[in-house]
Amino acid sequence: MKPKASLLLCLSVGLATMLPAAAHHSFPAQYDINKPITLTGKVTKVEWTNPHIFIYVDVADDKGSVVNWAFEMGGPNALIRQGWKRDSLKPEDTVTIEGSLARDGTHLVNARTVAVDGRKLFAGSQGGEAPAASAK
Amino acid sequence: MPCLNLHRRATLAFVSVAVAILSSSVTPPAAAQWVGYPTAGVPRKADGTVDMSAPAPKMPDGKPDFSGIWTAGNPAKPKPGGDVAGNGNDIGSSRYMANMGADMKDGLPYQPWLIPIVKERTANLAIDDPHIRCLPDFFLRAYGLPHMLKFLHKPGILVVLNEMNAGYRQVFTDARALPDSPTPAWQGYSTAKWSGDTLIIDTIGTRDDSWIDWNGSVVTEAAKIREEMSRPDFGHLDIKVTVDDPKAYTKPWTVTLRQRIVVDAELIDEICLENEQFVKLMGLGPKDKASAK
Repeated sequence: MKPKASLLLCLSVGLATMLPAAAHHSFPAQYDINKPITLTGKVTKVEWTNPHIFIYVDVADDKGSVVNWAFEMGGPNALIRQGWKRDSLKPEDTVTIEGSLARDGTHLVNARTVAVDGRKLFAGSQGGEAPAASAK
Repeated sequence: MPCLNLHRRATLAFVSVAVAILSSSVTPPAAAQWVGYPTAGVPRKADGTVDMSAPAPKMPDGKPDFSGIWTAGNPAKPKPGGDVAGNGNDIGSSRYMANMGADMKDGLPYQPWLIPIVKERTANLAIDDPHIRCLPDFFLRAYGLPHMLKFLHKPGILVVLNEMNAGYRQVFTDARALPDSPTPAWQGYSTAKWSGDTLIIDTIGTRDDSWIDWNGSVVTEAAKIREEMSRPDFGHLDIKVTVDDPKAYTKPWTVTLRQRIVVDAELIDEICLENEQFVKLMGLGPKDKASAK
């Protein structure tokens, strides 16, 4: 069984917003819970590092322009305990990520859920229970 | 004293029953750093769940053994599923994490000089928090943060390992005296003695401006801190804390910081400085020489 498939078996969509958060920094100082966003694209890089993981994703807009977005997630220890492995996401994987936009207007999002192959995984971040986002 | 906004408190509050059930039912991969590795000596009920009210384990001398991995036991919001053991995927934050005086009618009794400082720190969402800068968490604060603490209790010493930043605290129970005029230390200097089944821990030698909550409340070098630590049953530690710090507070105050057992889990690296980004992304780093002019 491939690692990703194994991981997906361990997690279900219904649990996506119930994740333990990583309390390293001040979420509301950096992100706006009232600015939810959902983005789909291809993973370009995974930084499996403390205190929080970052993944980078190329996202194309309606006109075909591609922007590389950064997504902050939880810490490796929290994600490992939820079934993630450091290679659960790899470059070229297509992902759909829900989260909250950074307050500074940059292409930075605090990820709440990560969907791969149509199933959602926890992001282990501080996003909490965000209102539903309109897909972009 | 205004509290942290509800969002932060809510989003930092952990856990759901579903996660606990899911995690306990999943066989972890073999290479997962001992995630799910069974903790030895755990009393369990017929259904396999941890018997939280079973008797506390004992040391060879008959005193309670505080060894174990612990997480905050005063949840910020009611814990779904009730009072069950944590499993590493089910660790929590305390309702005192944001405000150590949350249950005090008038809040913590700050000295006048400290009031505007805490007010500013609360208003700016703790962007100057040493925790954010990857500095060690003072032990009172660590009892409420969502990072696991591992107690190693041996004759003569109680060692507390903090998963966050690989921190440690030593509480000497070998009858030594507290040091005279100690150099202030991040966790102070702690000695302890038993009173019945309660370990009385006294701490001095703390640093000025040691944060004890997200609001930015602190203790200073003048602090004398007493913990009355007991293990009423297998699943809990009760830590009654009395802070006597006339430099920061107009009178001593007391709070009980309960801990809840975590089983089938082990510590995993959480070294904050490895790739800390918050300070850089928020533009909070030290100014270089050019910009400081």
